[in-house]
Amino acid sequence: MSMAEFTPDTTIRLGAHSVTRRFGALVANDGITFRARRGTIHAIVGGNGAGKSTLMRILQGMDRPDEGVVLVNGMPSVFFGPADAFKQGIGMVHQEFMLVPGLTLLENLVLAQEPLDGLRRIDRRKALEAARKLEREAGVTLDWDMPVDDAPVHVRQIVEILRLLYRGADVLILDEPTAVLAPAQVQELIVLLRKLRSEGRTILFISHKLDEVMALADEITVIRSGKVIGGMATANTTKAALAEMMIGEILSRPNARPSTVGRTVLEIRGLAATDARRVLRLKELDLDVRAGEIVGIAGVAGNGQDELIAAVTGLGRVERGAVRLDGQDVTKLSLRARRELGLSYLSPDRAAEGLCLSAPISENLIAGRHRSPALCKGGVLQKGAIKRHVETLLDRFSVKRASAALPISSLSGGNQQRVAMARELDGSPKLLLACQPTRGVDIRGIAFIHQCLLDYREAGGAVLVISEELDELIALSDRIVVLYDGRVTGEVPRGSAKVEELGRMMLGETRQEIAA
Amino acid sequence: MSAVASSARATPAIGWRDVALAVAPLVLALVVAAIVLAVAGHNPLEVYWLLLKESFGGVKRIAATVSASTPLILTGLATAVAFRSGVFNVGVEGCVLVGGLAAAFVGFTYVGLPATLLLPLALGAAALAGTLWMLVPAVLKARLDVDEVVTTLMLNFIAVSLTAWLVNGPLLAPGSANSATPMVVEAARLPRLMPPSTLNAGFLIAIALLGLYWLWGRGTALGLETRLAGLNPRFAIASGINVPMLIIKMMLLSGAIGGLAGGIQALGTVNRFVVGFSPGYGFTGIAVALLGRGSAIGILLAALLFGALATSGATIQLFSDVPIEIVNILQGTVMIFAVARFGWLLKNRQGGK
Repeated sequence: MSMAEFTPDTTIRLGAHSVTRRFGALVANDGITFRARRGTIHAIVGGNGAGKSTLMRILQGMDRPDEGVVLVNGMPSVFFGPADAFKQGIGMVHQEFMLVPGLTLLENLVLAQEPLDGLRRIDRRKALEAARKLEREAGVTLDWDMPVDDAPVHVRQIVEILRLLYRGADVLILDEPTAVLAPAQVQELIVLLRKLRSEGRTILFISHKLDEVMALADEITVIRSGKVIGGMATANTTKAALAEMMIGEILSRPNARPSTVGRTVLEIRGLAATDARRVLRLKELDLDVRAGEIVGIAGVAGNGQDELIAAVTGLGRVERGAVRLDGQDVTKLSLRARRELGLSYLSPDRAAEGLCLSAPISENLIAGRHRSPALCKGGVLQKGAIKRHVETLLDRFSVKRASAALPISSLSGGNQQRVAMARELDGSPKLLLACQPTRGVDIRGIAFIHQCLLDYREAGGAVLVISEELDELIALSDRIVVLYDGRVTGEVPRGSAKVEELGRMMLGETRQEIAA
Repeated sequence: MSAVASSARATPAIGWRDVALAVAPLVLALVVAAIVLAVAGHNPLEVYWLLLKESFGGVKRIAATVSASTPLILTGLATAVAFRSGVFNVGVEGCVLVGGLAAAFVGFTYVGLPATLLLPLALGAAALAGTLWMLVPAVLKARLDVDEVVTTLMLNFIAVSLTAWLVNGPLLAPGSANSATPMVVEAARLPRLMPPSTLNAGFLIAIALLGLYWLWGRGTALGLETRLAGLNPRFAIASGINVPMLIIKMMLLSGAIGGLAGGIQALGTVNRFVVGFSPGYGFTGIAVALLGRGSAIGILLAALLFGALATSGATIQLFSDVPIEIVNILQGTVMIFAVARFGWLLKNRQGGK
């Protein structure tokens, strides 16, 4: 390719031209071309494993294409590292925030480019001045002296963004920025990003959440299996059309057939529990989950969900009250003992707790069940039986893999979650505690996981779902229980729940108040 | 503790990448030491050739090398067992000392017993002493999350002083001016395999344990649990694995193997316990486990390497003007590079979706 193909064009702030990147036999990016115009918000949309992350790594200089080039201001650029990209004004907010614990927000903001006074100490006044200026630009107000560790997750994200601005970036790449946010905070982020756009900055974000893409983006590039499927202005498309482009087919909605409700499997009475800092988060909680029903917990993060998970699993402290599993008091039992009594636990934090990313797929799939008589005799693992069991489960849950012996980190997020789900539904548990079951999973994976939960319910299983996705709770739950300030403040049966009503109940209003 | 994570990595197949990662520390250490040698006025290639000849040139030299590597196989194994469960046990040195003393004590006290009873009894005493030595740090780590690096390191100093006091007082050989116990009786000595070399049956025990370690890591439920707990303890706990109990088990096992290393040294080579009994077998064991990346074959090769350096270092100054310090520098450089991670070398071609 000759340079003559390209002409400097400052309206094309960042783009890719025929970018191809291979990992062995896998083509992660296959001739990707797109252009993000200056002063716009451009969304890269695609399912798990579509190649979004690889593309972002290339645009940000963490990886280099095998073929094709990155375009900056219309001209080809080669980055030998993130620092090169940064010199061109391109900065990235990662999914895992990179703030330094123990420092305040202000210290994190100016880190590595601190304004210094005569004695080479950080000039707090100047730093604060810079912070206030950025606040005005972004239209936010922060408590800059707060230690990072105390800051809620959306505040940390804002600091990450402002830090890039402070250091001079005018192109922001955001990797699934709303994955960690509650609905109200998503709105705040949207306002913030629009403000930055109006200041002339260019924003590129990757997402598989179509509502946000439609709300936020000016232009959209859809990729699937490493290829660009389409590029369009947001005004010229619909959510349904995007979904179809993303997955290449129209999905049937999960089907919740009526099921017969049986005996009470989980019974929680008068439960009070504290968090790690000994703050009382759950106050007098009563909750029942019966066989053949899915109960959803709705609530703004921090209203007792974490403590409820800890109390049901036995991973945290219970101050008062009782937890009974299938009639047996398990309040003082360990998670191991509870698992033996029929509890399954799908962790909300797949990377840190739900899976062991560096271990093979097969070991992730049998962990916890590896001592069952079929897989293990006299302490010795039965290789053949395990292999058959693993392959059967992986096929049943349609996990795409090259080999079950590869580390599970080689799978996309959606396939990883299928493995976790397969393990937790294996061995016919009595109760499944499913926390954020579809976090970071694409549309197709969501449909699959929802169907798994519904099938399990129909077979007489009891499910407690804790999720921040209201649509998910509405689609799955036979009853939605609203948690506010450590108490149950309302309950909505299947068929009568509306997002807006639930949203108000999550902020403390009762159903009667809303109706009135 | 990044080094722990790398040694606990679960890769089923050995590729060129693993080999490169394993050999890189050695090559780099040889290069650095060559520069030191050249600066000191020696021809590095000549010195390396001499080292090779002194450690592997002939049956006798090989026997000496294998004999010197026997305690290192065991201390490397002891360290690796703890590493697997995510515990950085640096207290194997202390286990070697208490194990050595315990074996020697049995060997010169119960003199009436036949070899078939006395030898197992003495080795059992060594393993038991090492196990008990690890009990406190194991429980503190598992129940209260007290940092094992601090507790096990400090216990080493206690072991040094405690054993020194015992052999200077209650257990001092009658009429001896040295700080040493009486010699153990013939029945308590491990059979020599190739007299007059000190190579003894302890090497066979070490190899057998390595074999068991290999099988344990590959195919047992406990091995799987240990690896998962080492890679991601939160995941292991959430999967219903009793991680605190596992940590206690593995630290005690580590202590038992460390104690056995001391017992074998006492009954196979020294035939008594003396002050200065261990020239840092436990600490070299850490380097062996790291350089061997926690695998059975890796531990064997790394132990042979350090064993070779020890034997050739002892004799090289007899035949050349190369001082022993040079060999110590070489050993030290290998250790430093063994502890460093070399993942960055290959990072650029890794990963991504």
